[in-house]
Amino acid sequence: MRVLRIARTALVTLAAHKTRSLLMMLGVIIGVATQNIVFSAVLGARATVMQGVEKFGLDSLMIMAGAGRRPGVIQAEPVTLRVGDAEAMAAEIPNVKHVCPQIMRREVPVKRGNKSSYSVVVAAPAIWSSVWSTEVEEGRFLEDEDVSRRARVAVIGKTIASDLFDGEDPIGKKINLASNIFEVTGILESRGTSVTGIDMDSRIVIPLTTGQKRVFNQEHVRAIKVAVRDASIMGQTVEDIRSLLRERHHLPRGAEDDFTIVTPTKVIAMAMKLSSTFALFLVLVSGVSLTVGGIVLANIMFIAVHERKREIGLRRAIGARKKDILFQFLLEALCVAFLGGIIGLGLGMAGIYILKTVSKIPAFLMWQPVALALSSALVVGLLSGYLPARRAANIDPSDALR
Amino acid sequence: MLKVRNLSKVFRKGSMEVSVLDDITLSVSEGEYVAIMAPSGMGKSTFLNILGCLDRPTSGTYLLDGVPVQDMNDDELSHIRNKKIGFVFQSFHLLPMMTAWENVTLPLIYSDSDVDMKSKAIEVLQSVGLGDRVDHVPGELSGGQHQRVAIARALVNDPRIILADEPTGNLDSRSSDEVMRIFRELHSSGRTLVVVTHDPEVAREADRLIEMKDGRILADRSTSAFREGAAG
Repeated sequence: MRVLRIARTALVTLAAHKTRSLLMMLGVIIGVATQNIVFSAVLGARATVMQGVEKFGLDSLMIMAGAGRRPGVIQAEPVTLRVGDAEAMAAEIPNVKHVCPQIMRREVPVKRGNKSSYSVVVAAPAIWSSVWSTEVEEGRFLEDEDVSRRARVAVIGKTIASDLFDGEDPIGKKINLASNIFEVTGILESRGTSVTGIDMDSRIVIPLTTGQKRVFNQEHVRAIKVAVRDASIMGQTVEDIRSLLRERHHLPRGAEDDFTIVTPTKVIAMAMKLSSTFALFLVLVSGVSLTVGGIVLANIMFIAVHERKREIGLRRAIGARKKDILFQFLLEALCVAFLGGIIGLGLGMAGIYILKTVSKIPAFLMWQPVALALSSALVVGLLSGYLPARRAANIDPSDALR
Repeated sequence: MLKVRNLSKVFRKGSMEVSVLDDITLSVSEGEYVAIMAPSGMGKSTFLNILGCLDRPTSGTYLLDGVPVQDMNDDELSHIRNKKIGFVFQSFHLLPMMTAWENVTLPLIYSDSDVDMKSKAIEVLQSVGLGDRVDHVPGELSGGQHQRVAIARALVNDPRIILADEPTGNLDSRSSDEVMRIFRELHSSGRTLVVVTHDPEVAREADRLIEMKDGRILADRSTSAFREGAAG
């Protein structure tokens, strides 16, 4: 087969000019490696968001106090969302399975003896554990009785446990939280860092009533998490909740909601939109280095075509057609680019591995970056090989042999 | 075999027109051994390139084996160069990274036959007396050996016509003799040879001597020596 013989010729040429082939490859290697790292990191970040949303629960929704945040507008903390709202939802809307009203406050100082730390305090009913599917690893979680007694008991996260207890068993010990003495009843299982960057293991969960009366001195809650029975009619449930809350909050027709309902589909849509715009941007930016690699490749190809003018003239004289020459040079560019792509991919994967070990950047090995790396290497080879190859094919043989 | 009628070639350099070949009419029969002599730069290489389908005339007709060549497209001309014509150049044009046998296989790459390239190349190299040099690269070969590899390359597709442009121009007299001996053998095997040269020694080998000057044919005559191989 003529095609195979010409292909072999191209490979032999590349092997014979190792330095030149390597130089041609270098830009593609760097470009593909960069792109690979960036793309993998972006996909990893997106997967983390998705995992976060799944943890939140696809059959859950969240009612936040206040209208959605708007840039530049300072909002006073809304005080209209009440425990009664949660109870009314559970009583009046059939699809509502559980409600979990809660107060959250960040950066609350917690002390024990001379040790101290900052915590995220969550005041919630006993159902919090199952609604957020977060179990205790040791001891026990809050019970209904704790809530009705306004008990000074707390379930703490791992970070707090290690900050305050330093290896001691915290169960049954006392801690000082916002000038109240609490008894530790349990330790929450580890949940790592949330998508928004909060250390989930620095949480301290206390009974909702204790939070209301003893710690924060407020009747209103920050949020109500709702678990529904049937996730397929989520949309209808959201509407039912909205009209119930508007009625309870005496909002006149046309007035803005004083609460925000967040559903997992909304969160996913937002996260996807955000991350795909961001991803596209990053991949495009990393594509710049690949473009530069392609230009380098094309330039060296042009020089090589000039240097090999006599070879081209000779090949034409002994029977090579223009398309044979075109094919030979295009294939040389493609092979260089593809090999560069594979090497770049290897370097990129090594880079991702290093990133994962030295930092918390979530990056996984996935097939999409591999496919992107190899296909973009081929595209670069094709684009930067075509013009030089066409120039080679159009060299006038009688002129080249003079 | 080769019939050229009213052939002209004009090169354009900016607004200047340089006429290199001017109204040449010539025919070469099958098996003839023709030498073309002319002062350097007088269009003889261009003429040879046109005969070898490597260049096109500005005007005139060229019949190769009775087929008009001037109207053929690039693919058809490439096919003719591959099958019917073997080129021998003054500066050999061997590819330096390839061994002798690999250089010889080059025309086979572009032919559609599927012979075993290496054994065919070695066979042809043996026929030009280089059976012991097949694995050497050009850098390890002498000038005369270079030209013999190049001749083997020209012969590997078994063409009927050999076109040589100053084949001994870069060779010492001993190597020249060797090349001329190979040409005599090719001639006696019935091939058509057209050799461009300015060396009278080389020209004397041919049956027929054509002298050119200023793009025209000055003289066209038979030489006395070695006429027995010529077939009309």
